[in-house]
Amino acid sequence: MKLHSNPWLRTAYARLWVRAKSIYGEPLWVAINIGFPFFTSFSFTMVYRAYGLGSYAGFAILGGVMISFWGNVLWSMASQFNWDKQVGLFEIYISSPASISAILVGMSLGGILGTAPSAALVALLGWAIFHPAVNPVWPAVISVFALTLASLYAMGMALSSLYLAYGREADSVNEALHEPVSLISGVYFPSTGGFSPFPLAVQAGASLIPLTLGMDALRRTLFFGQGFGEPTIDLELVALAIMGIVLLFASSKALKFLEDKGRRTGTIAVRQR
Amino acid sequence: MDMNDIDAAVTVRVNGLRRQFDSKEGKVIALDGVDMQVRKGEVFGVLGPNGAGKTTMIRILSTLLLPSSGKAEVMGFDVGKEPEKIRAVINMASGAERAGYDFITARGNLWFFSQLYGIPSEEAHKRINELSKMLGLQNYLDRKFYALSTGYKQRVTLVRAFINDPKVVFLDEPTIGLDVMTALSIREYILKQAKDHGRTILLATHNMAEVDAICNRVAIIDKGKILACDTPAALKRTLGASSLVLDVSPVPTLGALEPLGKLDGVKGYTSSIDEERGLSRIQVVVEGDAAGQSVVEAIRKMGMTVMSNWRQQATLEEVFVALVGRGFREREHETS
Repeated sequence: MKLHSNPWLRTAYARLWVRAKSIYGEPLWVAINIGFPFFTSFSFTMVYRAYGLGSYAGFAILGGVMISFWGNVLWSMASQFNWDKQVGLFEIYISSPASISAILVGMSLGGILGTAPSAALVALLGWAIFHPAVNPVWPAVISVFALTLASLYAMGMALSSLYLAYGREADSVNEALHEPVSLISGVYFPSTGGFSPFPLAVQAGASLIPLTLGMDALRRTLFFGQGFGEPTIDLELVALAIMGIVLLFASSKALKFLEDKGRRTGTIAVRQR
Repeated sequence: MDMNDIDAAVTVRVNGLRRQFDSKEGKVIALDGVDMQVRKGEVFGVLGPNGAGKTTMIRILSTLLLPSSGKAEVMGFDVGKEPEKIRAVINMASGAERAGYDFITARGNLWFFSQLYGIPSEEAHKRINELSKMLGLQNYLDRKFYALSTGYKQRVTLVRAFINDPKVVFLDEPTIGLDVMTALSIREYILKQAKDHGRTILLATHNMAEVDAICNRVAIIDKGKILACDTPAALKRTLGASSLVLDVSPVPTLGALEPLGKLDGVKGYTSSIDEERGLSRIQVVVEGDAAGQSVVEAIRKMGMTVMSNWRQQATLEEVFVALVGRGFREREHETS
């Protein structure tokens, strides 16, 4: 546990360690993290094959990989602060000198680190069983993947503050968001562009979700050999970077606002008196 | 010690502190003009029934809540304007919390909390081992948090509360719901932290035995106001009255004992039920023998039999009864 003496880094690293360790603390969760995305991927792959589109089966496998991260963002990032509040951890954070942004960044990195092995396993199993056709431009794939995760987890940070305000209803909001966002962001099939089943307005709305642009760019760079210099890829990379920065800034402001509001109204802790 | 020395040693200073909450029923005043000073190295008790305002005071002092008006300072820093400076030198814990990550060991949780204060890992582990040893937690440090009993989770909480070598620690009902032996070891630990390290400990509790056992001074609080503040011994001494204890049967109905409070020489009363024996124990704070006699007669007139009665030295509960006219139980019942 050796670390730099910077308190911000110490806090972020400690939160990362807790997040990553907690994900693998319960064998059932590990099984769920791998099982759910894999079986859904398997089903979609079968659909692609049944309609003679076996060469697109990779879309479904990629969807299984990315849905693991999306689930982690919703369940382990966004609703985490609400859980922390319910058990009394949030007031410990606030009454300590720790930076809330360090805690959020630690949670995100821990979430990525904890989810990455499950996601990798889904990818390996999918590729081993279905041998999908790929034509990757690796530097572009890696850049898109990194930026997608960064903006996705920045969205998780922003949702954290939102859910903190929502309180106990956060879990219902998660339930309500999970499937619709998976659908319109095109996790298992293209939801934007010429092949999209959605009208333009829905496509435009969906493009505000980092997952939508990330999935589209990943498909292009991984399966269709598109790389830097392609207008769509460049545009999507820039959009993902802007989204990440804006969401990061918004989450930091929102949490500060909620802390100040909580100190005024007495809602930082669950019990008020 | 002259006045300047006393002033320099003050670590918590509260002046005209007031806090109200908006609720569906209207405004609720949790603290109503509280003045208080706590000195370095003191274990200072804030004693009162549930809903008296103890937790609100701790929340304000630990920077979780802003006062509606008035001023509160910790180590000379204002809670409203300089929360960051206060957070670096305090810590807090509540008996109601079981805060920890379930799938992480007790040691891992404590290490995590130490990192919120930027403590180097080596130093953090040293402190975890030392503090855990004092609380008898050392053999449980490598168990997952969810696998610990309530008592051991509370010990983890109390190790956490001192992990950053704080100058001031706020403890809210630290022994609530614990067995007698665990509570005793926690009290010893708190006392040692104040004595050996010169820490100020502000202990909010409704446990009078706890205050009697470890507090240098105590403020008695009710309905957001401090009614008295002194050493437990001095408070009992100034009461100037003793307590008459009566075991009566049958158990009186709710409100049946109210006429007792109106008798001459009676400062207040409280009662509890001994379900096993089917009795009610009534403690009455009285001045003089005549008042005691009139209490016994009044109870008989109410149709109850006095099974036994005796005088006892005043306790802090009697001090509260004398100040408010009711015991904690009656007060909590009124509040609810």
